[in-house]
Amino acid sequence: MSSIAGIRARRNELRVSLLRLLDTLSMPVLAIVLGFVGGALIIWMTSGSLETVFAAYAGMLGGAFLKTRGLSETFVAMTPYVFLGLGLAVGFKAGLFNIGAEGQFYIGAISAVWAGIVFTGLPTFIHLPLVILAGAVGGAIWAGIPALLKVRTGAHEVITTMMMNYIAFRLTEYLVSYPLRDAKSSAVQTLRVSPNAELWSLYQVPQRLQDPLNALFVALVLAFIGWTIAEWIFLRPKWVARWTRARRHALTVGIGLIVGLVTFFVLPPLTRAWWLVTDPYDRMHIGIVMALIAAVAVWRLMWKTTVGFEMRVVGANPDAAKYAGINSARTVIITMLISGGLAGIAGTIEVLGVSICRCLPLFFSSGYGFDSIAIALIAKNNPIGIVGAAFLFGAMRNGADLMELQSGVSKYVISLIQALVLLFVAAPAMVRWMLRMKAARDVETEQLTRGWGA
Amino acid sequence: MTLLPKRHGARFGFRQLVNVAFGIFAAVLVYLVFNAIIGGQCDGQCVMGMLNQTIRYAAPVALAAYCGLMCERAAVINIGIEGMMLMGAMTAYGVNVYAFTAMKAGGMDATVAGEISRWLALMLAVASSGLLALLHGVVSIRFKTDQIISGTVINILAVGITGYFYRQYLAQDIPPGPGTFQPFDLPLLAQIPILGTIVFSGQKPIVYFMMMVTLLIHYVLFFTPWGLRTRAVGENPRAADTLGINVFRVRYINVLLGGLLAGFGGAWFTLEAVDVFNPMMTNGLGFIGLAAMIFGNWTPFGALTGALIFGLGNTVTTTLSFNRPDIPSQFPQMLPYVLTILVLTGFVGRAIPPAADGQPYEKQ
Repeated sequence: MSSIAGIRARRNELRVSLLRLLDTLSMPVLAIVLGFVGGALIIWMTSGSLETVFAAYAGMLGGAFLKTRGLSETFVAMTPYVFLGLGLAVGFKAGLFNIGAEGQFYIGAISAVWAGIVFTGLPTFIHLPLVILAGAVGGAIWAGIPALLKVRTGAHEVITTMMMNYIAFRLTEYLVSYPLRDAKSSAVQTLRVSPNAELWSLYQVPQRLQDPLNALFVALVLAFIGWTIAEWIFLRPKWVARWTRARRHALTVGIGLIVGLVTFFVLPPLTRAWWLVTDPYDRMHIGIVMALIAAVAVWRLMWKTTVGFEMRVVGANPDAAKYAGINSARTVIITMLISGGLAGIAGTIEVLGVSICRCLPLFFSSGYGFDSIAIALIAKNNPIGIVGAAFLFGAMRNGADLMELQSGVSKYVISLIQALVLLFVAAPAMVRWMLRMKAARDVETEQLTRGWGA
Repeated sequence: MTLLPKRHGARFGFRQLVNVAFGIFAAVLVYLVFNAIIGGQCDGQCVMGMLNQTIRYAAPVALAAYCGLMCERAAVINIGIEGMMLMGAMTAYGVNVYAFTAMKAGGMDATVAGEISRWLALMLAVASSGLLALLHGVVSIRFKTDQIISGTVINILAVGITGYFYRQYLAQDIPPGPGTFQPFDLPLLAQIPILGTIVFSGQKPIVYFMMMVTLLIHYVLFFTPWGLRTRAVGENPRAADTLGINVFRVRYINVLLGGLLAGFGGAWFTLEAVDVFNPMMTNGLGFIGLAAMIFGNWTPFGALTGALIFGLGNTVTTTLSFNRPDIPSQFPQMLPYVLTILVLTGFVGRAIPPAADGQPYEKQ
């Protein structure tokens, strides 16, 4: 009797949460579909033939998924989007619009290259984290300056971060063409970073793991992750009530140790026997794993920590934050540092894992930073959503080349589609009006930015 | 002494520090001007030339600032100016080249065709920018979207549209165009000694238009019923509504007018400055215009002053990189952006935006 009622209740709960999920997903999905329809209209109007529209979209799909290494290139393009989208989402949650992600991306890249060049002879397990840290710090400083100015003088971050973008472009250009330039190369580019600072391509993993130091490094990282996840699980009230603290710690540390030991002894021979990527031209790299970890970390930060809570309160209602005794100046600075740090890591990954010369060329145009605004908004600042939106944008970016080749439609059409998607996401009322839909029952509007006055 | 407010000047805080930095920066700028003048053996003629150039460079920034001014006086924040200008620049270039080619193919005299196509290009550039402004208006006024997000949408959309058309039609195999507008002197005004030479001679139409529009906006905003309504809507829309002012209509028209002004600013790039179009050629001038507007405390003459400072900075930059090739050009190129940040941090605390700025109006 009670079990049947329980099952019913649970099923009902499931149904409600599924419906809610559909409700949340419907707007972004509609916006994406409308964006593609709008793109099709524009291609149709400018080319005058429906075949071109189909050729273009078929080319985009083929380029993104079907061609050789298409899917892994999509993952490559998606990686910086995840980091940048997360960075922007952190800002939006705290009511800050970090329009300067592009500049922070550049500064992160150049800082990482600098750290990769000047330090030589360091083993991977020191150098790689160092380089990533350098990139993160570079991006964080670049975002920290506008944050400081906002807090101390009230200068609005939209204009200051935008200006910091242009300064970053020029500064990077200068550093690439003078102090860090590779004099031996005919192209204007920086020196190559030390091989130990490179981000591993996935096909290299078995070979890299031959070195016991590298294996130890990976084991330590995975052990740490295992321990963290165990801590999260066993810190739930259910377990806290059941076990003593010492026992809980013993368990979590034990799990971490086991993960580490298993990794250290099993992973190297396992990857030598079988590994999913063996193609040496495949550019997919461990950055994608880092991106997923970052998504989880940001989610924890925003929803499970005090700092994250303070950020959300400052973003949702600055007055309430003030009455609650939250130091909003400090929160603003922390938020921007995290946001910029994530953007900096994106730049680092792009330059250490993707660029063929493992260096920063002069014409390092990305556009990633501006696209990521749309990613964060489509995902409604939800880390899982960001991974999904980043995948979509990565696929479009990757598919654009083949599309241009096959249909003759300029690849800029993808930024048009992205802009339309952003427009529809930003103005759900407009989509509803266009499709003659009734307003949602509980329209939740989030204020994302603040005007000059606030 | 007691007449002074107590803490006046007594505290040396961060903003004072920034103002000192601004002062140092201004001193460096003056020194650089001096240096550039001396290095190039500059006489009075040449100084006047530089001031003339200052006004030329100030024009797009000023027009961007007026666009922001029109919108924000009616409480609509517009950070899409950059995109509107880019759109104007692209349209102006495309129309200029292709209309000229078409008219020449039709057997028209090249000079006449050039003149007609330039003015046509200007008009369509203004119209295209106005269309984007209208979109901004609809999204932020009718659908009440966050205005800063809406402006960002405009910027990204403009990059997409201009990039697409550039790649499709303007990147290669472009027919020869008629070139930019010709400079001319204003009759009578150019006869004024010194001032006439600096301000009223040797400029092209959009720069003169900018000067005229400064006076016009000042007059409209502060001396006409329309201006009063606009300001009322910007400060207290509810009260304005109670008095029978159509808040939405005032906002739409102001946003549209602002967009038209931004279109002139955009056309400046391809019809006056250079005879090519590049994606991203506006280089943040729209945002600098916003900074000039804030610097000028939301008044046209204040905004013009801000724009002139940037014009001077730009002139110095170009003169400097021309006379001193040994300095890496990237550093002078950073100056306008650093200047913008300093201006914002040093002055924005004292500037007061329209009270309802950025808030969508909900009719009751």
